[in-house]
Amino acid sequence: MSKYAFWPGCVARGAAPELYTSTLAVAEHLGMDLVELEAAACTGAGIISDGEPYLQDVLNARTMAMSEQMDLPLMDICSTCVGVHRLAAEKFREVDYRIRINHHLAPEGLEYRGTADPRHLLWILLEDVGIDKINSLVKKPLDELNLGPFYGCYLVRPERTLDFDENPTRRNSLEQLIEILGATTVTYDGMTKCCGFPILTTNKKNSLTMAGTHLDEAQSKGADALVTPCPLCHLNLDAQQPDAAKVIDRNLNLPILHVPQLLGLAMGLAPEKLGLTRHVVDTNRLLNKIGA
Amino acid sequence: MAQQEFTIQRYNPDTDESYEESFTVDVQPGQTVLDSLNAIKWEQDGTLSFRMSCRHAICGSCAMKVNGQSMLSCQTQVDAAAERGDPIHVGPQGNQHVIKDLVVDVEKFLHQFERAETWLEPYEDQEPPEKEYRQNVEEFDHWSHASTCIHCGACYSDCTVAAVDENFLGPAALAKAYRFVMDSRDAKRDERLKFLAEEEGGIWDCTRCYMCVQACPKDVLPMDAIMELRTLAIEAGHTNNHGTRHHKGFTSGVRKRGRLDEMMLPVQSVGIGRLLTGNIGAHKEMMDYTPGAIRLLKSRKLLTIAQRHGANAEGREQIERIFDEVEAEKHHHNVDADAFGAEFETALGGH
Repeated sequence: MSKYAFWPGCVARGAAPELYTSTLAVAEHLGMDLVELEAAACTGAGIISDGEPYLQDVLNARTMAMSEQMDLPLMDICSTCVGVHRLAAEKFREVDYRIRINHHLAPEGLEYRGTADPRHLLWILLEDVGIDKINSLVKKPLDELNLGPFYGCYLVRPERTLDFDENPTRRNSLEQLIEILGATTVTYDGMTKCCGFPILTTNKKNSLTMAGTHLDEAQSKGADALVTPCPLCHLNLDAQQPDAAKVIDRNLNLPILHVPQLLGLAMGLAPEKLGLTRHVVDTNRLLNKIGA
Repeated sequence: MAQQEFTIQRYNPDTDESYEESFTVDVQPGQTVLDSLNAIKWEQDGTLSFRMSCRHAICGSCAMKVNGQSMLSCQTQVDAAAERGDPIHVGPQGNQHVIKDLVVDVEKFLHQFERAETWLEPYEDQEPPEKEYRQNVEEFDHWSHASTCIHCGACYSDCTVAAVDENFLGPAALAKAYRFVMDSRDAKRDERLKFLAEEEGGIWDCTRCYMCVQACPKDVLPMDAIMELRTLAIEAGHTNNHGTRHHKGFTSGVRKRGRLDEMMLPVQSVGIGRLLTGNIGAHKEMMDYTPGAIRLLKSRKLLTIAQRHGANAEGREQIERIFDEVEAEKHHHNVDADAFGAEFETALGGH
């Protein structure tokens, strides 16, 4: 059984609980053993670092050090968490900085050594679980579905921290998963852009114009739903969708799926178990289409 | 000799027609996208319009979208571009008005530098130096990345905020502003920080999407500069804005339970002080959250938000310790910096 140090992030334990439950359901089905990092802190998501970059770095060194101490690969389920973890790891390559950071970890017996390689569940599915195993577990191919990927910035940028060259499947990981599961990818300009969530409280109009524009584009290109590895994107695309529709003055009705929900559906797990009844944009039409 | 197909986004201003056109070009190893555009123009269609000059990635004229991302066409080899999309799609820069084919009107982009007044403002009470104004190497090293901008516009073209808001200063002008904020020869550091923190379309409107960092051909790291400006603006006390309140509210939530506090954050971003003093705008902002909160209630998400999940007790204790240590270290550092500043001023003869 493959074992992972599992960092759920804050939103999966708060405003997007369906991401947490669907992750656990899918992991169980795949035979993944997830050891949740219950003592770990929020990554700061770039917001703590707005004023306290050093503090944010220490918190992330600590989380990564926990996975190193357990000698387990670190799994995130949020594009933002992966990005922030990897950006921190990049800074810690500077030895003096790492030593300074480690002073704060020593009192609890932790040391960040720089071996942690934080990865998203989506990458782990393709890199560790593998296409063959996923294929073997697909009970309900999603042939009827046209799905738009929505990556979340930090799973595609900055490329220098994401090791795309060493792991070419990462470059189009979502399209690959969509197609392994039998669905058709709808490509559109907005799929690698910003959902607008980071500025929702500072500039709501800009934020929702971004979300609305991408949703409208994907919907008009025939997407039945979007799939996202980022719960922050999910908040702006799903929970804010009615407001985004008003801001751009269009009708929007596009369900947004989390990555493990999509996989779970294809593996024949019950929609309730995957939290699909806890979305703001109703998922029934989508579920009817695949007979789930 | 290999052949490569290009799909070029064209625009004819005389007929107001936009269309894509395919061309096939013979390519040699090492050939650039710009070489290929020249080959098309010289050998196939002389009406194809694009900007170019130096061909050495220094003039900044030939930035355009290659397979959807802005880059210098003279610095981009055909082989590398084809790996990311074949046929290679070439289009004009985004977020700007297209004049013809691949040529855009850069007026809006350049205007942002004027708004941010990105030129040196020397100390007026200082005698001009005999030769030039000097900057020491250590200080320059810290911000030199931001001084390498060639004004090609690639970052502005791909900026996700500029796409929805013409008023956003944009990555290049903000990075340039950072460059002058950091320059010890500049007298207007504090005025600059105040402007950048309070101006609509300033530093707090950036989404941190990293598009600019990815697009920049010169590693200016515009977004990193914007993030550092935020820290400097907060340190300088320019904090009466949503961005700072969001940062402070978010950070205090993590301090308390180790995790983001989604319950309190909206109130903190609007500003508890503003709400208590009856600020009408603040109350309207809170009202704006109501429909969203009702939707979260209906989808049973408000339940889990209200439970305010946190790190376990052991974790919280350690997280709080780290917050305290970093705070103490910062205070210590500030004391050092103040002492250094006083010493520096004495050495300068004070001003």
